[in-house]
Amino acid sequence: MSYATRNIDIERLITDLRSRTLSRLPGDFSRLVYLASSRDCNTGKYYHDGLAFHFSQNVASKAMALCHKEIFDRLVYASLEELIDELSNYISSTDERPEDFLKSWEHLGSYRITIPSECDELEADVFLSNLKMALAILQTRQKHASRDEQSA
Amino acid sequence: MIQWLPYLFLGLLLLAVLGWWVWDAIVHRSAAELLTPRQHRLGAESVGSRRDLGERIFGPQDWDFVVRETPPQIQRMFQRDRTLLAIAWLRRTRIRTSQVMHAHVAVARQSKDVQIGMEVKLALSYVLFLILSNSLIGWVWLRGPVQTRRIVRQTLQWVAWQRAAFERLMAVVDPANHKALETGFNQGTAQS
Repeated sequence: MSYATRNIDIERLITDLRSRTLSRLPGDFSRLVYLASSRDCNTGKYYHDGLAFHFSQNVASKAMALCHKEIFDRLVYASLEELIDELSNYISSTDERPEDFLKSWEHLGSYRITIPSECDELEADVFLSNLKMALAILQTRQKHASRDEQSA
Repeated sequence: MIQWLPYLFLGLLLLAVLGWWVWDAIVHRSAAELLTPRQHRLGAESVGSRRDLGERIFGPQDWDFVVRETPPQIQRMFQRDRTLLAIAWLRRTRIRTSQVMHAHVAVARQSKDVQIGMEVKLALSYVLFLILSNSLIGWVWLRGPVQTRRIVRQTLQWVAWQRAAFERLMAVVDPANHKALETGFNQGTAQS
């Protein structure tokens, strides 16, 4: 496959991925987690059966990696307040209790897997630091809410 | 006592040249201000194109939010984390500038069209940049990025002006390689 054909395929695939899959997820943080969890941690390649069937495994993986990086960039440059909103939306979209979720993410450091394979090291540090702060702030809010409920 | 006089003279001379260079940089500040707003305008275009990590780290928006919304314990955590990030960013900016300077020295050695005056100017401004960036690292470590953001911003404006002067010099010394080096430098600073 020529370089130009491959690039056109990747562009078509990115458009397809954005409009059919990613747009249905509630917010950038959900998209980030979705793309990160589609990646094989042993090889760093992304897997999506439907996309690989229509295009090729390599092209699908490349397109997903590009989308992952794009969403990651948006979140790195989002303010802490925006990141907290994104994280809250994501927590609400899962069936877990927020207390359990926050405790688990803080304890296990699960958020580390959301970093794309190819990204600037300092950008990754900024993102992880902001995410750690966002988790701490949400935990504080959660504690205050529980205390208020108990006292009421 | 008399044996120290040459060193004293050299020290005073160096101070005078550095002082003149700083004054020159302040006078030409308008050039730096032309560079910096361009980055802001680019940043306003789309979230994806915002690439100024320094602005992201030193910017006041997050700190204002943390002060307004969180208890002191989280504020301390924020300051500690941001101090480490700010120092890492300043170190990286220093390393990248040094890489560009080394590349320039390598090219200038082979060039037949070297302007000694400009080269001395460049070397002195590079020394001043190293002194400033090391002082900034110390200052950020002591006071944190929030309190030092104004001085960091002013220094970066000066660096932007220096970069423009450097690019003009590169175009004179080595026009063939200037384009390639310029692109590499821009990518480096764009990510920083």
